[in-house]
Amino acid sequence: MKLARTTAALSGVVLAATLAACGGSTGNPNAGGGGGATGGAAPAGDCSSAEVFCVGMVTDMGSVDDKSFNQSAWEGIEAAAKQSGAQTKYIQTTDTKDYASNLKQFTDKKYDVIVTVGYVMAEATTTAATANPQTKFIGVDQAQAKVTDNVAGLVFPEDQAGYSAGYLAGLMTKTNKVAQVLGMQIPPVEKYAKGFEAGAKAANSTSNVSIVYHPAGDNAFSDPVWGANAAKQQLAQGADVVFGAGGKTGNGALGEVAKAKGAGTSTYCIGVDTDQWLTVPEAHPCLVTSATKLISKGTSELIMQAKDGKMKGGDFTGDVGLAPFHDFDAKLPPDVKTKVGAVVKGLSDGSIKTGVTLG
Amino acid sequence: MGFVRANRTGLAVALAVVVAAYVAYAVDGTLTSSLLGFAWSFAVPLVLAALVGVLGERSGVINIGIEGQMLGSAFVAFFAAALSGSMLLGALAGMGTGLLLGAFLAWTTVKWRMDQIIAGVVLNIVATGLTSFFYVQGFTLPQVMPSIEVPLLSSIPLFGPVFFTGGPFSLFAIVAVLVIWFGLFHTRWGLRTRAVGEHPHAADTAGVDVVRLRLLNVTLAGLLAGAAGAYLSMEASSTFERGFTAGRGFLALAIMIFGAWHPGKAMLAALFFGLMSGAAAQLQASRVVDIPEQFVNLLPYVLTLVVLAVAAGRVRPPAAAGEPFVKGDA
Repeated sequence: MKLARTTAALSGVVLAATLAACGGSTGNPNAGGGGGATGGAAPAGDCSSAEVFCVGMVTDMGSVDDKSFNQSAWEGIEAAAKQSGAQTKYIQTTDTKDYASNLKQFTDKKYDVIVTVGYVMAEATTTAATANPQTKFIGVDQAQAKVTDNVAGLVFPEDQAGYSAGYLAGLMTKTNKVAQVLGMQIPPVEKYAKGFEAGAKAANSTSNVSIVYHPAGDNAFSDPVWGANAAKQQLAQGADVVFGAGGKTGNGALGEVAKAKGAGTSTYCIGVDTDQWLTVPEAHPCLVTSATKLISKGTSELIMQAKDGKMKGGDFTGDVGLAPFHDFDAKLPPDVKTKVGAVVKGLSDGSIKTGVTLG
Repeated sequence: MGFVRANRTGLAVALAVVVAAYVAYAVDGTLTSSLLGFAWSFAVPLVLAALVGVLGERSGVINIGIEGQMLGSAFVAFFAAALSGSMLLGALAGMGTGLLLGAFLAWTTVKWRMDQIIAGVVLNIVATGLTSFFYVQGFTLPQVMPSIEVPLLSSIPLFGPVFFTGGPFSLFAIVAVLVIWFGLFHTRWGLRTRAVGEHPHAADTAGVDVVRLRLLNVTLAGLLAGAAGAYLSMEASSTFERGFTAGRGFLALAIMIFGAWHPGKAMLAALFFGLMSGAAAQLQASRVVDIPEQFVNLLPYVLTLVVLAVAAGRVRPPAAAGEPFVKGDA
């Protein structure tokens, strides 16, 4: 009897954990029933006709105004639409299980180009592309291991963005200790981390760079409390520049550094992916800059290529850079800014190599 | 003396831990205190949440909705503070939400005898759904949670700065452990609570109002879940995100079992988990051993498995946990 009860209770816990995980994606401010909400410019023409150029976007989990990947990609689409007169529309994904059905809404209406956002949607994108060879697909952050003719993966040299940020950190640190609080150990994050380390060492060969990844797989990017905790641990051990690269987990680290004594005067933080000055207001006291991927630019370039029939399957490398310094523009020593600017330039023209390889 | 004899193992373990901590402190002070700091910050919500589980199961109600209670409270606490501009109001609103969700669980399972597991699952799903739906980006707390230094205690080397200097919720967690520990084993309320959890019909015969006591305990335990949630969004971080609790409510249940349904032991168990998690981060950061991060990050989980395997079979849950009470239906 007792055994049965314990088993029942335990299976209940497992069930609850599973259900909670599934339930995690049900909510979205603009979500309708089923696959998700749609929005964007009102469709006028028929996308199946050759004259009307239609671009659709399926967001990753989260809304289109997330001030991050989704929003950047959408802005790129809007920019391209302005140039090409395309008709645009987006679908917000509210559940990872809906990727395929959201894609199908666009393929059924014969959209010309479909943009999918995020590393996790790569598989669904390839599947839809194989089934719809006439449609062009653009996968943001989706490296193409195998070339599919009608899929362009928009990828970024994260190691270069990390390198510039690390170079800045290497110049700023007084304690010679620089910390990184990272999300899941997947290729884009690893490239940031290794690039950052290489950059910091290049600026200051005696600097000590730590790399800490979140331990758990499924919530590695959505655990700001752990990020804050890990940052606190590193600060206590003398780190004075912290690179938070791991979605919301990294944001937690930025928030913690902002609370530390000397934030903005002797202790600094650096954000990632987009200009986090705009996304993480609580980090303003310490946020010097962010290592960014220029998603809008890459997306819009690829759409124009598709429009002209020049888009090729495989990887398309977008640009990376550093976000503006905002309030720190006046606080950073001019020679630091000059040196970092030179590094950013050197990386983009190829005269500086990060030397990062994943293996 | 009776206390010492009754808690021989626990005291021996605690003493060994303290001695080991000071030895480590003497070897490398910064490292030890930052590691212990990590462990305690990690443990605070787990301690509070495990106490919720202890209170529930000790009185005969399995609560697997702790995750949902924490998530809901973290959400309300953060937004109440952000919108009203008052940290105090946020903290109170968070704890109030925990209380309300506790009352939901209490009334559905105790009064209306709904299946306890299902009620908990409902709580988790509803909390996840509502908080995800209503979450909006871009809000910040009006200020940083003030840090309090407890006089005298905070000047103890190593332990003082870690345990007795901190935000109100981490101090509250220590008080809660002591109060519930004392309450459960040394007061009339505690005796009745344990009786209701072990043998409700006997308690009923002895004149204890089983239903009322269970309603009270499960509802009030919600306050602790609320504190755990508010700790996460207001003290440990200054933000809220979807799925913010990241499974801590479920981890707390493992800690409750590992801690043998005992407040003090649960706190030690939570600290142990925190220490392992901190050690995993530390091993990566200082790179003392050159092994892939994935293996280092396995450490807390492997040790958890080992510890739970050792603990399993040695601990016994309250006999009536999970069983609704029907008067006269023995």
